[in-house]
Parts: sequence; structure tokens; C-alpha cells
Amino acid sequence: MTKNNMWSLKLSTAALVLIPAAVGINFLGKLFASLLKLPLWVDSIGTVLSSMLAGPVVGAIAGIVNNLVYGFTTDPVSFVYAITSAVIGLVAGIMAYKGWISNVGKAIVLGLVVGLIAATVSTPLNIMFWEGTTGNVWGDALFAAMLAKDMPLWLASFADSIVVDVPDKIVTVLLSFLIFKGLPKNVKNMYDNTGEIERL
Amino acid sequence: MTNMTLYVKKDSPVHSVDPLTKLLFAFYSITLTYIVSSHLSVLLILLSTLIILLAGKVFKYILPVIGVSFLLILSIIIVQGFFHPTRATVLFEVGPISIYKEGFLIAFLIALRVINMVAAFGVLILTTKPDDLVDSLLRKGLSPRFGYVLLSVLQIIPQMASLTGKITDAQRARGMETEGGLWMRFKSFIPLLGPVVLNSLSETRERSIALEIRGFNAKGQRTFIRETEFYQYGLFLKILMTVIFIAVVVWRFVS
Repeated sequence: MTKNNMWSLKLSTAALVLIPAAVGINFLGKLFASLLKLPLWVDSIGTVLSSMLAGPVVGAIAGIVNNLVYGFTTDPVSFVYAITSAVIGLVAGIMAYKGWISNVGKAIVLGLVVGLIAATVSTPLNIMFWEGTTGNVWGDALFAAMLAKDMPLWLASFADSIVVDVPDKIVTVLLSFLIFKGLPKNVKNMYDNTGEIERL
Repeated sequence: MTNMTLYVKKDSPVHSVDPLTKLLFAFYSITLTYIVSSHLSVLLILLSTLIILLAGKVFKYILPVIGVSFLLILSIIIVQGFFHPTRATVLFEVGPISIYKEGFLIAFLIALRVINMVAAFGVLILTTKPDDLVDSLLRKGLSPRFGYVLLSVLQIIPQMASLTGKITDAQRARGMETEGGLWMRFKSFIPLLGPVVLNSLSETRERSIALEIRGFNAKGQRTFIRETEFYQYGLFLKILMTVIFIAVVVWRFVS
């Protein structure tokens, strides 16, 4: 792999077709999480998986498309968080490329970093659009408690995002990692746009 | 999960406006609510959005969409009403806790903005077929490859969702537990998601071969299979909205 390949904007057909599949996987992750009554969203497995498979550019596009489609079909509020989704795909793709998915321990670190960055990106959005709340019961309870102790709004809002995002993203990245490791080699190579192997 | 879109087929003036004008409307309407800061003006913007929804005969369909954001709105009102940093004047007391006037006013303002955001996008979403929106964007120069990505999402998700029932049943038949403690439920996540992911990834291979055979990467001018839709009042509305938008922005920063 040469270095500039990670940022290649010339997407192969396989990589483009991966994007709708990634959005579908996000959707199913969310569906199964609510089916199993898990206390997390787990709604970005597809985004993370696609950036592990095809790099940060595809991951970021998958994130944006995911929120656009979700906004168009269910909840327009998710348009606001398209940037967060893009950043999740971007960070996961860069770090996966740098080798942070070689074992479980590294994958957890990757999840932690993705969660922290997602929270950092979401916080200004939350403050700008709804004065810091997130609509998640646990996060907002903490937010309220911190405001009651007269802590600054941005700090409370950041904490609000962190308690929600970090556990969620660690689980998401871990699940994506486990699925990624289980994929057969010919599937993994399909999206590799370094050109040596078969290209569709 | 048969139909992915919220589009409601009706015959109304709003339906016959072109998608990009409605997109522009959503953008202006939402931006304006965040630029102006008095309750009255935000309420007026919200009212005008609701009137457009009424004119489009889709008013009752926006209510469930607003309902999705209900938790967010409720949480804004509770949290900000009780705890906003500028709290000073007690509005009324519920037992030991008091609701503050400042926080409540801010919460009310944000709630109006959120409802307007949902309603303004609702004008676009409820009265526009996704195909028509993507079609208009393609005519404005969106890459056809990317247009395909957007539209195929809407086809793929129902297909994948219909797979989930089968997979859940198959894994249950093999003894997977979908009920029980948190860890138990958590463990069944992989056996559920794994097969769908693998299946959809190997489908992408077939799909990309099928696309390439049909000239997906062909260079040169693309043509449209559908005739240009006839839309009414597009240019006039765009100019009108832009004038109103600029007027409000100027009024806001001058006064």
C-alpha cells in the first residue's frame, strides 16, 4: 500500500456499491439493538465497517448518506448530525489504515478515540441547535445535574455527549471489528483500491 | 418496512413545486429561526411553515414525524426549564424544585425551532418523491454514480430488513437466546448481524459486476430516461424566498 491511496477520490464501483450496503447495515444494527433491547444505539456499524474495508473517504460518504437517508425517511433531526457521522467514518478509516484494527485491544482504543471525537464534534452542534441537550435520557440527566452545580454549559454538554457516545462507539467499533475479522479474504480484497488485486 | 419514504401522494400546489425550491425553502426557514431570536418571529416562521404543509394537504402526516423528536423536545423543556445557567426568576414551583422563567423561555424558543426544523423538512419530504429530488439534483450536475448510491439505499434497506426475520428465526432454531440478561442479549448480536453483513457484502460484488456491464463507468454525456417534469412557479418562488431571507437577515443585523 502506498500512502496517498488512502485518500484516493476515484472510487471503484465496488466501493460505491458498498455505501448503500453500509447504510443498510447501520439500519439493521439499530434494528437488532432495539430488538434485543440493548441500551445503546449501535447505529454506525456499517459506517465503521465500510471505512475499515474501503478507507476513510468511503466511510465518510457512507456516514453522510446514512444521515441524509435517515433524515429523509424517519427523522429530519438527523440531518444535523451528518457531520458527526462523516467524522466517525473518517477517523475509523484513517486509524484502521494505520493498523489500529490488528487486535481486540487496539480496536477498543479505536472505539474510544472515535467516541471522543464524535462527542467533540457533536457538542458544538448540540449547543448551537438545542442549547446542549442530546435527547438521550442518561446523558441529559447528567447534563442537568452538572448545570445544577453551576458548571459551564459547554462542559456539561460535552459530558452529556461523552457518556452517550463513548460506550456506544466502543461497542460499535468492537462489533465491526469482530465482523471484519470474520469476513472471508476475497470479500475484504474487493474494496481494496490499491490496484494489485482484482478490481471490479 | 414496505415503504421507505414518507412521501404522500396528493394533488396540491406544493406538490407541483420543484424539489430544489422546496429544499431551498427548508434551508431558509431553518436558518431564519436560528437568526431571529424573539419568540414571536420564530412562531411566525413556524406558522408559515405549517400553512405550507396545510396547503400541501399533508399536515396530519407531519405529526408522527414531530413525534419522533418528542423525546428531544421534552428533554429540552425539562432540562433547560429547571437548570439553564441564566436561571433567576422563579416561574412556579413543583414540590421542592422550581421552574425558572429564563430557562423556560429559552426552552420554549428551542422547542419552536426544533418543530420548525422538522416541519420545514417535512414540506420537502412529504411532498417530494426521492426519485424526483435526485433527478433534479442530477440535472443540476450531481454525479450520476452518486445519484445511484442515494437511490439504491432506499431499495436495499427494505430488502435487508426482510432478511432479518428469516435470520432471527434461523438462529433461534439453532438455539440462540434473544431474551434474558443483558450479556445474553448482547452475545446474540453477532450471530444476528454477521450473516446479513456477509450476505449484503457478497451481493455488492454481484451488483457492481452487473452495473459495470451496463456501462456504469461509461464516460460521456448521460441522458435521462424520464422527461423533464413540469414544475410550477419555481423561479418566482426562489426569488421571493431569497428576497424575504435577505430582508430578514438585514433587518436582524441592522436593528
